[in-house]
Amino acid sequence: MKGIESVRGYQEEIIEAIPSTIIVVNRNQEVLYANRNYYAKSVAKKERDVLGERLSRVIPPFLIEKTRIDDKIREVFLTGVPFDGDQLRYPGGMFYFYKIYPLKEGEASISKVVIFMENITELTRLEEELRDSYVKLENAYDELKENDEMKSEFISTASHELRTPITVINSYIEMFEEGMLGELGVVQREKIQIISSQIEHMIRLVEDMLDTSRLESRKLKIHKSSIKVDEIARKVLDELSRLSGLKEQAVSLTIEGPLSEIEGDGRRITQVFNNLLTNAIKYTHNKGKINVIIRDEPYDIQVSIVDNGIGVAKKDHSKIFEKFFTGNGSSLTRESGRMGLGLAIAKGIVEAHKGRIWVESEIGKGSTFIFTLPKA
Amino acid sequence: MKLLVVDDAPEMLKAFRDILEAHGCEVYEAENGEEALIKYADMKPDIVLMDILMPRLDGISATKRIIQGDPFAKIIVISAVGKSGLEKECLVAGAKEFVVKPFKVRELLNSIDSLVKQ
Repeated sequence: MKGIESVRGYQEEIIEAIPSTIIVVNRNQEVLYANRNYYAKSVAKKERDVLGERLSRVIPPFLIEKTRIDDKIREVFLTGVPFDGDQLRYPGGMFYFYKIYPLKEGEASISKVVIFMENITELTRLEEELRDSYVKLENAYDELKENDEMKSEFISTASHELRTPITVINSYIEMFEEGMLGELGVVQREKIQIISSQIEHMIRLVEDMLDTSRLESRKLKIHKSSIKVDEIARKVLDELSRLSGLKEQAVSLTIEGPLSEIEGDGRRITQVFNNLLTNAIKYTHNKGKINVIIRDEPYDIQVSIVDNGIGVAKKDHSKIFEKFFTGNGSSLTRESGRMGLGLAIAKGIVEAHKGRIWVESEIGKGSTFIFTLPKA
Repeated sequence: MKLLVVDDAPEMLKAFRDILEAHGCEVYEAENGEEALIKYADMKPDIVLMDILMPRLDGISATKRIIQGDPFAKIIVISAVGKSGLEKECLVAGAKEFVVKPFKVRELLNSIDSLVKQ
């Protein structure tokens, strides 16, 4: 049994129950039928006042004026094509939507049309609210984007502006160190070395700030050439050996299998090693162990930097790669001299190479930072 | 050896002067690109150290103009901006070298010495 057949015999109840207004008129636009909803809306009218009356007398005159519904009905009778709907605004902020359908009797011409009217005030109001909210949201987003761009712009300008004074200071330090400004005593030499290492630290911070603003504005460019990851690792380990030596840490390098050369930005990959190893040295106790393992996998080179240091809490495993994250977030307990940019920059560089970076770690048991660099 | 240093920061000019005079150079200064063009024509320096971001006439345009007048001019651009693509732009403009601030004094002096011999 077809679905519609099971309700044959109930058409009347169904039509009467429909919460829209339904009016059927003939070719002369005389009302043949109006459903219960119509009477509910027009309390003053009884069926005997409505049936046989012209449509223009049973619905408000301004409605006819505004919609030219009479013309549209004539059009439907003439063409047999349904009028697929239009919106109508009532005074007092009410909104209606109406449609006109021809009712054919067999193959003969159209003798009646049915008019559906729906109160869409609430819907329209919601739609308007939604549109308003959307506009507000869009404005807020634009403002936020503008602020963000201003912030990136500021960081970029500030780091550039800092370069000249740093260069001036650095130049004089070097001139002192080179003896170009006369001979220094042992004490002066020692203090100049302190200034020198602090200036170097400041240069790195400025570079980190610049890289962060580049990452944010997606201006971090990768200049690829053929690179050997193990050579980069050796170079960085060598450069950092003084730092790890101070803490008497045992640093080792393990190469598993012959490594393929890959296409990458040598200077940037050096930076990744530098940032990860500086962290490993910093967060591993004196006499601790740090091991760098480089593996040749089928599709990529995988680098693991394993330490037995203080470790990273599970809840922070993804947060540590966000910029300005420095441990537990409290500025009083955070490590000094860090802006929490190193890992964010490392992540940016690895991802710009289409690689992945993550950490496996447990508090107190050490950390393993892993990154991959695709072979192609 | 005669050097013309072009930078809009007076402290930087002073530092250049101290570095270069200690290295035995004769130093001339210009505070922007326009001044650099005039000083270059007057002094005929062996080498120019050129900043990029300067008022009136920037370092890249000044480099182009100097090279137009003297295709053998030896110009080292010293930039506070390390933007990628900028180095290429400077070399295309006719600069012999591109150095990013902060530089190593020793390396800068080595570059100057080897460039003057070319």
